[in-house]
Formats: sequence, structure tokens, C-alpha cells
Amino acid sequence: MSKNFFEINNVTFAIGGMNKVTDANIHIKNEGEIICILGPSGIGKTTILRTIAGLEKINKGQIILKDKIISSDKTHLEPEKRNIALSFQENSLFPHYTVDKNIHLGLKKNSIKDKSIDSNEIIKILNISNILNKYPHQISAGEAQRASLARSLISQPDLLLLDEPLSNVDQSFKEDIQVALKQILKKSKISTIVVTHDSYEAFYLGDKCALILNGEVKQFDDPYNVYHFPNSVEVVNFLNRGILLPAKVTGGNSLENDDLGIIKGKFIKHYPNGSNVQLLLQPEDLEHDDDSNLKLEVVDRKFRGTNFIYTLRTPSNRLIPVAVHTHHWEQHEINEKFGIKRPIELEHIVCF
Amino acid sequence: MRINFWYLSSFIISLFVIIPILTVFSSFFEQTTNYFDILKETFLFEYTFNSLILLISVLILTFLIGTSTAYLVSFYDFPLSNFFKWALILSFAVPPYIYAYSLTAFFENYGTAYTILKNLFGEANYNQHIPKFDGMLGSILSISVSLFGYVYILTRASFLYQSQSLIDLGKNLGFTNFQSFYKIILPAARPAIVAGLSLVAMETLAEFGAVDFFSINTLTTGIYNSWIAFDDLAFANQLSFFLLLFIFALFILENLSRKKAKYHFNSRGGFKQKAKLKLTDKKSFLAFLYCFFIFFISFLFPLSQMLYWTIKFPENLFDLNALDLFLNTLYLVIISSFILITFSLISNYGNRVSKNKVLNILSTLSISGYAIPGVILAVAFITFIAWMDESMIKALGLTSIKKVFIGSILGLVIVYFVRFYSLAFNGIKSGYEKINIYVDESAYLLGYSKRKTFLNIHVPILRNSLLFVGILVALEIIRELPIALILRPFNFETFATTAYISASEDLLEAAAVPSLFLILIAALFIMITSKYILRDTSE
Repeated sequence: MSKNFFEINNVTFAIGGMNKVTDANIHIKNEGEIICILGPSGIGKTTILRTIAGLEKINKGQIILKDKIISSDKTHLEPEKRNIALSFQENSLFPHYTVDKNIHLGLKKNSIKDKSIDSNEIIKILNISNILNKYPHQISAGEAQRASLARSLISQPDLLLLDEPLSNVDQSFKEDIQVALKQILKKSKISTIVVTHDSYEAFYLGDKCALILNGEVKQFDDPYNVYHFPNSVEVVNFLNRGILLPAKVTGGNSLENDDLGIIKGKFIKHYPNGSNVQLLLQPEDLEHDDDSNLKLEVVDRKFRGTNFIYTLRTPSNRLIPVAVHTHHWEQHEINEKFGIKRPIELEHIVCF
Repeated sequence: MRINFWYLSSFIISLFVIIPILTVFSSFFEQTTNYFDILKETFLFEYTFNSLILLISVLILTFLIGTSTAYLVSFYDFPLSNFFKWALILSFAVPPYIYAYSLTAFFENYGTAYTILKNLFGEANYNQHIPKFDGMLGSILSISVSLFGYVYILTRASFLYQSQSLIDLGKNLGFTNFQSFYKIILPAARPAIVAGLSLVAMETLAEFGAVDFFSINTLTTGIYNSWIAFDDLAFANQLSFFLLLFIFALFILENLSRKKAKYHFNSRGGFKQKAKLKLTDKKSFLAFLYCFFIFFISFLFPLSQMLYWTIKFPENLFDLNALDLFLNTLYLVIISSFILITFSLISNYGNRVSKNKVLNILSTLSISGYAIPGVILAVAFITFIAWMDESMIKALGLTSIKKVFIGSILGLVIVYFVRFYSLAFNGIKSGYEKINIYVDESAYLLGYSKRKTFLNIHVPILRNSLLFVGILVALEIIRELPIALILRPFNFETFATTAYISASEDLLEAAAVPSLFLILIAALFIMITSKYILRDTSE
């Protein structure tokens, strides 16, 4: 008997005879958890969802849901018998039914369920009450996506698969829906796998994140760890939230970089003294200080609402991102000098 | 690959449709009577030559009429231009053989033209001044006027989707309207024009009624005659083989151009609806006159000629048991449409869910049936049944079952099925192509089985396509002549066969009444479907 609610064990996901993701291991420990699959476009994220739903077969490994093998090289439970819902990225509403009928088709199938799903509440939260009587061709792509999401939720599946569920939803509306969606999923204890290429969406929704890069699951961990403790250079590059600087380990809690000098902090992994490493420096690691004597040249400044991200050039011509709160009274223009607070102390030191 | 109900059904249906084609090919190597040697020395050249002359002339005429009318109604606004847009396709209501009857009736000695002149200017010897449209010229005219609609419809659709910027570019380069037409508009519509012309070519090579009426010996009439007159099925099949080679070349050409044409129709981004240019005064009148002339000669002329004769010889109307003919036609239409739609639906769905290469190839082959002349199909069907009958009697000692299939409604419906399968299959396929595959997958994930998805989701979504296909099939069956002529049961007539029999007995006046009914019913069907045929969006 499996100790997890859902398991993907050593599965190779393929489509059209081409392997997309090999030897993947992902699991949902308890019912009601949300997993986010994160990765660049075309890497095979959708293939993973389609395979879990039973729309594609596998030749290697096994997929287990509630102690039952639903896919393996020998077994293939038909999609209609899995009680897994998949909300497609594209419009998948039935064109001959109104939105209302489309949504409630999910309900009919599972009329006796213990999960506390209220279809009216979902319709209200997803803001689709005004399009219920319309046909799919009369609504926008974002509305169709929300209607499709509603249909999947109302069907109260054992496992809900969401493929880029909010990709067509307006930015202004996106965060509200993310919050509402998470509330519904948690309240109704629907185990969910969300595919997205938006790391912020994954970090917010997911109890755990699986990063798919170069045809394999590079990291499967909780969002905090994925962000702060990426386990490979590929993950750092994909998240694009920092740079790697060459440094030399100078002690049990310090290292030295030619441009920034001594950097102190707690190593998350042991490196022998004198080792040459690549130090991960994220925008929030360095602090700004106008009075510091460590000055770097500003090459770019991005306004990000709550903060500015300055890109600074070091004497050895490397570019470092530094976040500064928007309310900092003095803004620095391009080509100006920008002070970095010393001594540099990091919460944790991640090196490769 | 798992063999399921849908895969198996699709496989069997496609295979069934391919059998007559295979029969023709296998018969090529069979022994024939001496007739073949005689014919090879004498008539084979004539058959081929006539077929070629007919083909080339019809292609030129349909190209000229089809593209010019499509150009005028697509780019210009002139009196009744919106009416002509759909009225021009009414020409489909008049099959070439009925057009041939009308031409003869009007221009023959002491025919309608003579009567008109006599009534207007008094008695005189007009006959020598009235041109005669018979023989090859009559055949070419009859077929061209009846078939230019293929070029018109496809070219017009292509013109509609030509980008406004392309035309603006022409203006920018200082082209006149005519220069823009032949340097930009026409080349851009080339795939559509080729597709239209290929359809015309296949229909021309398959044409039987008109060429037979004008006594022009072509490969098609040769096949019919070698079977009827010399009872030589093998030779009929060998002639069919020659004709099929021609037709397959055209079929491939048509398919290739259609693929290219797809790019054209699917252009979405950047498409800007063209504003039609308003013609004024003389130009407007000329455009109107030209379209009216084509509409008149292609539809009003044969219609009025048949109407005139029906009124002039009312006894034919009373002699004809129109209700019986109507019911017979209706009977054939209902049974054939029902079977065609049901099996095409199943086959399409089988292809959709199986995604199997073998099935795909088989389906592609099976839809080549529309390229095969009715005469060939009917003869191939008889060949196959004769072979099967003989084999069964030999092997199992059973009694002959020929009569069950030949000269029976069953046989007729089977051959109609093979002949019009591609029409139904493609019609439903184009409907299916608009159903996103995610719709199917969503249904499965909501717990729907394949059968339930088919019945509860697909069939309701496809209902408009099914109606359209049903009407198209009906239209074809109403107009169809050679298959009905060869395979119909004794004493079972349709409007088409009645008209043909009267005309072949030189009783053109009597042919007028069934022809008139046929035109009116066909026109009604065309009017119902015109909005689908001329759809203005990329759907």
C-alpha cells in the first residue's frame, strides 16, 4: 500500500513517440495538497497532465492514485474511469451548451460527494454569473477559461489538473482569482496539480513545486526552498532571480569576491577552505547604503511597484541585481554611483 | 493499437467503398471479346480525342465564366450584385443533359427560336440563320454552363479572403484594376481556381447524359456502350482504367491545390474585410449585364424553355405520373442520405478516435470515389457482383443472388453510397475539424464513454453539417443519371431517367416535364444550402 495519496514513480512521459520528461518522481502526500509544475514552454508540462488524466499512455514507471495503479506499462485506466478532471488551457467547453449547462455537466456525474463544493459559490468567485446563459462562442477566452475551471471544480474529482489555469485571465483580476482558487481548493480538499510557467503563481498556489528542466524533474520541494535553495545552476537560471558570482571560500562562514570583498553568512552546504565556488546572489541579498564606500555603477533601473531593481556593474564588469524599496528617498540614475552596505552579511549562502 | 468498435467500423466502411475501384484495376488484365481489337483499331483514338477536346474546351470556358463572375461579385458593387452572388450557383440545378435538351429545343429547326422569330416578324425561312448548337459544340456549352459554378464558388471564396493590403499594394504600385486582377488577385487565387477546375475536369470526364444526347463518343459513353451494346464488361472496365488514370492525375492535382488553398482560407490575423468598389453608370450597367447574361443562359434559359414546353404540351404533364417519380426520387434520397450520413459519421469518428495510419490511408483512398464516373462505378459494381455470385455458386452451390443487387433499390443505394461517400465524408469531416479535440477529452474526463461522447456531444454539434450534407447528397441523387439508368429496378423511374428516356426517343417535349420538376426541386435545395455554400466567414 502506498503511503502517498498520489504518486508518479519513475515515469517517462512521452508524446507522439518522443520522450519529453524521463524518470519523473512526484507525489502528493495528503489529500487536498496542491502541487505546481513549473518549467519553460514546450518542456512537457502539459504532457504530464494529459498522461495523468489518461489521455496519453506510458511505457515506463507507474502512476498511482488512492492506492490504485492507473497507469503503467501494463495498465491503462480509461480517462472516463479515473475521476480526474483536467482544465485545459484552450477552450474546451461544449459549443452547443450554454456556459451554465457546461458547468453543471460536471455536477451531474458526481451528485453524491462529500466534498463541500457549492456551485453557486464557485460561479460567484470566478465572476462568471453574467455569462451563464451565453454560448461558448459568445464569451472571451478568459471567461471560457474560468468557466472551464468552474466545470472542473464542480465535478469534484479525486485529482484536479489545471493547465495554465489563469493564462488568459486579465492581470487585474488574476491575483484575486488565485486567492479565491486556493481557498476553494483548500476548503474542499481537492488535490490539485497546477501547470504554470509563472513562478510567482507556482510559489503562491503550490504546497510543493516541481521544476521541469531539460527533460527531467530538477527539483521537487516546497516553494521557499525552490526559491532560496535552488539545487542546480539550471534552476537558478530558470527562476532568473539572481546571478552567480565567482568567489573563494575563506572560512566556515565566509567567502570573498574580488569586487564585493568579504561576504559572511551560513553555508547551506560545506565547502573546504580555499575552494573556488559560484555564489548565488539574489536581488534582496545586498542592501543599499548611500554612505558606503563600496560604490558600483548603475546600468539599469526597473520599477517593480514595491521596489526598484537596480542593475549594477562591478569593476570586473559583472552585472548584479539589487532591490531597493520604492520609498527610498533618493533614486539613482543610470551612470551614477550606488553604495552597497558593508559588511555584506547573507541569511544563507548558496554556492555551486 | 487496440481494435475497438470504432476502428473496426471505420475500417470496414472504407474498405467497402474501395472495392469497386479495386475491381476496375483488377479487370484491366482480363480477357475481352474481339470488340476490343476492333475498337482499338478504330474508335479508341476517337474516344480519347473527343474526351480531350471536350475537357480542354470546358476547362477554358468554365475558367473564363467562373473567375470573371466571381471577380465582379466579390470586388464590385453594382445593381443586383448581392442577388447574383447566390443566383449564379443556381446553374447547378440544371444538369448538362437537361441543358443539352434546352439548347436543342431552342435552336433546332422549327424550335423555340424559330417560333419567337415567326411571332415577332411573321413567317420566313429563319432556320438557316439560326445557329445550331449540337454535337461537340453543344456538349461543350452544356457542360460548361452547368459546371462553371465549381470555379465560381471556390474562386469567390478565395477572393473573399484575399487581404485588402494586397489589393492596396497594387494601387500603390500604380496598377489599373485590370492589372491588379491578373497580376495580384488571380495568381493569389490560383490554388482555389485549380481546385475548381479539377472538379470541373472530373465531372466532364464523367459526363454521360449530354455527350450521349449529342452522340459524341467519349471514353464514358464508350464504357456504357461496350457494356450495353456488346455486353463486354471486361472491356468496359479496361476503358474505365484508361479514364481512371486521367482522373487520378486530376484527383492528385486537386488535392495538392486544396492543401495550398487551405493556407489561404485560414488566414486570420490581419484579415480586413474588403470594401466593395461601387461601380457607376456604364461600368455598373455592363457588370450587371454580364452577370445577368450568365445567370440567364445558365439558369433562366433552360428553366423557361422547359416551362414553355410544359405549358405548350400540357398533355405531357398529365401523362407523367409526377407524384410517383417524386416519391421514387424521395425514397432514394432518404434511404441514401440516411445511410451515407450514418456511415460517414461513424467512419469520421472512428478516424478521430483511432488516429491510425492504416485507417487514414484507407479513408483517403475511399474518398476518391467522387472522382470515379457513375458509369464506371455501376459497371464495376456489376462486375464485382457477377464475380462474387459465380464464386459463391461454385464454392457453396448456392443459388444466384445477382437479382438481389442488380436491378434493385439495394444495388442502387450501394453504388450511390460509393459514389457520394466522399461528399458525405468530407462534409462531415469539415464539421468535425471545427470541433476542438479538447471537447472530446473534456467529455471523457467528465466520465462520458466514447459512444456517449459521439451521441451526446458530437452529433448535436454537427447537426448543421449533417443537414448540409443531407441536402448536398439529395441534390446529387436528384440530378444523377447513369447509375440510376444502369441499376434501377424494372419500372422504377426518377425524374432524371424519365427525362433521359424521353429525350433518347426524340421526344424532347415529353422530357421537358420531368426536367422542369428536376430543375425546380434542385433549385429549391440549392437555395436552402446557399448560405452554407457561400459562407462568408472562415468557419
